[in-house]
Amino acid sequence: MRATASLFRKEFAGYFAGPVGYVALFAFLVLTGLQFNLALNLLTERGPRGVEYPMQVFLGGADSPDLARTAGVLFWGLFPAVTGIITMRLLAEERGTGTLEVLLTAPIRDWQVVLAKFAACYGFYLLLWLPTLVYLPVLLDLHADWRPAFTPLSITLLAGAGLFILAVLLTIIGANGWFALFLGLIGAAAAGVGGYLHHTRDPEYLVTLSAGIDPYPVLTSYLGVVGAGAMFLAVGLFASSLVRSQLVAWMVALLLGLGFVLPALLRYWFEAGSAGDRVVYLLGVPEHFRRDFTRGVIDTRPLVLYASVTLFCLYLTVRSLDARRLR
Amino acid sequence: MIEVHNLTKYYGEYPAVRGVSFAVPKGRVVGFLGPNGAGKSTTLRILAGYLTASSGRATVDGRDVFWDPIAARRRIGYMPENCPLYPDMRVDEYLWFRGGLKGLGRSARKHRLGYVTDRCKLADARRQLIGTLSKGYRQRVGLADALLADPPVLILDEPTAGLDPAQIRETRKLLRELGEEHTMLLSTHILSEVEMTCDSVIVIHQGQVVEDGSLAAVRKRHQNQSLEDIFVRLTGQEGI
Repeated sequence: MRATASLFRKEFAGYFAGPVGYVALFAFLVLTGLQFNLALNLLTERGPRGVEYPMQVFLGGADSPDLARTAGVLFWGLFPAVTGIITMRLLAEERGTGTLEVLLTAPIRDWQVVLAKFAACYGFYLLLWLPTLVYLPVLLDLHADWRPAFTPLSITLLAGAGLFILAVLLTIIGANGWFALFLGLIGAAAAGVGGYLHHTRDPEYLVTLSAGIDPYPVLTSYLGVVGAGAMFLAVGLFASSLVRSQLVAWMVALLLGLGFVLPALLRYWFEAGSAGDRVVYLLGVPEHFRRDFTRGVIDTRPLVLYASVTLFCLYLTVRSLDARRLR
Repeated sequence: MIEVHNLTKYYGEYPAVRGVSFAVPKGRVVGFLGPNGAGKSTTLRILAGYLTASSGRATVDGRDVFWDPIAARRRIGYMPENCPLYPDMRVDEYLWFRGGLKGLGRSARKHRLGYVTDRCKLADARRQLIGTLSKGYRQRVGLADALLADPPVLILDEPTAGLDPAQIRETRKLLRELGEEHTMLLSTHILSEVEMTCDSVIVIHQGQVVEDGSLAAVRKRHQNQSLEDIFVRLTGQEGI
């Protein structure tokens, strides 16, 4: 456990030690920023829109106008490229520079190595999506109403939040870690308990959030993002375990990743409900978002696909490390 | 401490190691000699758990390196050939990470980190990026890593390769000191080094053990020739 945690920490920190992590963050922020910009433009145009429309444009699933469709193809074409950038160095670099020998002769099992590396790149992937939460108040048409409802419970909530922020600031300026952790835990506990009781007991709330549109399609969209990302990353990690060169690892990851994107482009060829259409739905990740996740529908078929491909690729990665021993 | 029985390793059709058997008793410092491509690194890699043997058995401190790999690796401090390291980590970051990988807790890690940086004379390079270190310092980082978990067995693959004479002398002194606390198996090309640091030698040629014994016994068997002459004769390169 300690070995896995140590490797995870090293890999995760590794994204910020070199330029690769910043390049991925920058490229992804530009990409989602463009999508957001497009969504905003289209939402200000006249015409009836479905509840799914904002997230559908944002995640590249809208059919009309043509501009949105082109942006969607671009977004999904570049998506496996970005996840490939995240995963390419994980094992290929270690093979290339020979550090794999030092890593695999440490008392750590192969599956722990794979798990730690996967967890690290998954963590970084979730970090990529974090800035996009800033767009949501606009896409959701979110309103916040403030009222001076200061009761003992709401003050506990505010004080807890303040303590927590103070603890974060203390960690940043490098104060005693244990003290900051202690402060942060107390803050979080006070904020949690205060917030819960404030919500259940008090007649009036400090702040009331209300969305202009149904917020659940947004939640399911992010569920899809979290699931599909795991699949693309596992594919990329496997590609990285096969070769010595990071560039080749990236290209293999892109190629395999496009295998789950391009089928969605074939959907115009098949009638709805035909066998071809079902295959396209099974393998085309953009279709999962267009038909289900951005509409607030949770279909288990895509989720099962993500989970099974992820587990299968991680298993293959473990076997690929093992096979190198038997060479 | 290390026991090897009939170890064989095929790379495809090519047998790199064929039926190697030897034993290293506790507390002994053994030099592992042989020309390039004789199968030295392959044997050491099998012992360290980086490769799996095609057949045969190897145990470290009674733990089989194939059937009980984690326990065996816990007892080994291994430094590979050329000492590969992560260039964009700092020395103390790297050792801290390696300590965690070897299962040391926070306080034990802190304590051992202080000990190995002191022992390998890394104190003035602690905050330096590994990529900017000279060859000698890199070698010391590798050695510090091998010592980190205080393993009973040290396996070092060419610990003095590529160093300048002063560094070789320094490393040799360190190895001699370490030999008093650890069982050590070190491969090398430099024969004078074996004479100065090792108690006994194992000579391997074309994947087979051709000589095994204490330095004195080996010399006696070969009519008190110099180690260099013995080495050249055993590896069949007499004409040169």
